[in-house]
Amino acid sequence: MTLELAVRVAEIFLGLALFQQSLEFLRGFGLEKKIALVRALLAVFLMMGIYSVWVESLLLITSIVLIKRFRGPYNGGSDTMSILVLMCLWLYHIAPSRWWQEIALGYLALQLTISYFQAGWVKVVNPEWRSGKALGEVFAFTAYPVSESLRALAGKPRKLFIASWVVILGELLFPLALLNKTALIIALSFAACFHLANAILFGLNRFFWSWLAAYPILMWLQERIAL
Amino acid sequence: MGFVAEEAGVPVEWTPFWPIPPRLTFAQNLVRLWHNPKWNERLFINTCAERLFENNFDNNDDFYVEEIARRLLNAIHTGQVSIPDGARFMAFRIKVIYTETLAANVMGQVIDEVFMTSSLYPLIRQGAN
Repeated sequence: MTLELAVRVAEIFLGLALFQQSLEFLRGFGLEKKIALVRALLAVFLMMGIYSVWVESLLLITSIVLIKRFRGPYNGGSDTMSILVLMCLWLYHIAPSRWWQEIALGYLALQLTISYFQAGWVKVVNPEWRSGKALGEVFAFTAYPVSESLRALAGKPRKLFIASWVVILGELLFPLALLNKTALIIALSFAACFHLANAILFGLNRFFWSWLAAYPILMWLQERIAL
Repeated sequence: MGFVAEEAGVPVEWTPFWPIPPRLTFAQNLVRLWHNPKWNERLFINTCAERLFENNFDNNDDFYVEEIARRLLNAIHTGQVSIPDGARFMAFRIKVIYTETLAANVMGQVIDEVFMTSSLYPLIRQGAN
């Protein structure tokens, strides 16, 4: 995948993610609703590839306004990832040379890879994650399961143990996928399924779209370092 | 959430804000993958509650209390939460739920405590902005 193609696909996916977030904010009130209207329009421009650098500049400014408004990200890691992708794409457009463009996008790919590895590391050093208990508690009494029927999963320790280890190993081994194109496609498919499961089980739908936006850049980097 | 008719009243009955449904269909899950504003607002309220708990009512906590109140009041005013007849004030409380510390593979007794109770908010159209 060429650098230009990766950027274009990432912009389309990011536009989709930002449009999705803005549609949800339109149901809100006050400043967040007004900003959502502007951002929804900008997200459409981003998907179409119109005035990319200006559109991304305005999206960055409105992102900062929203962070100030909510005193942090509204939706945790998904907002953080959206802003990271946005910032790196913006840096790509304003970079003075090819080398700096590659640095900007390489940084994004590195952050994405580290995000999975770090999440796996935090889990593997925690004995409650290793035993499946942590996941059991998430289903048992936290605010995250999207329906009461899912709480029954807390009573299935064997399934929770297996699920915990699938997630831990998947996250820890993710960086190795950069060594091979097929391995990367498998790893990204696994990661997308992981985000899809989080969306279905815990309602974390914004994470799915935000992370997806960074995948084309990782595919570019894998080919770049393989050369 | 609790409701009273008089400013000096104390809520006797508390109802959960936007309780989770018994189950979701495949179609509902599909729609919610793209559009789930209510759930994300619920998560944000949860984040505000967590920040209150972590800060233990330090500086700037008014922001989080007022942010939660604004969203609950807006849900009432837009008809997303039904209120008892005659209710003129709303209060909310935040519970913290955790398990007692046991071995890493044993789930302990679930402990459910009220962490904070808000003051009363009049049910007029002030939460909408």
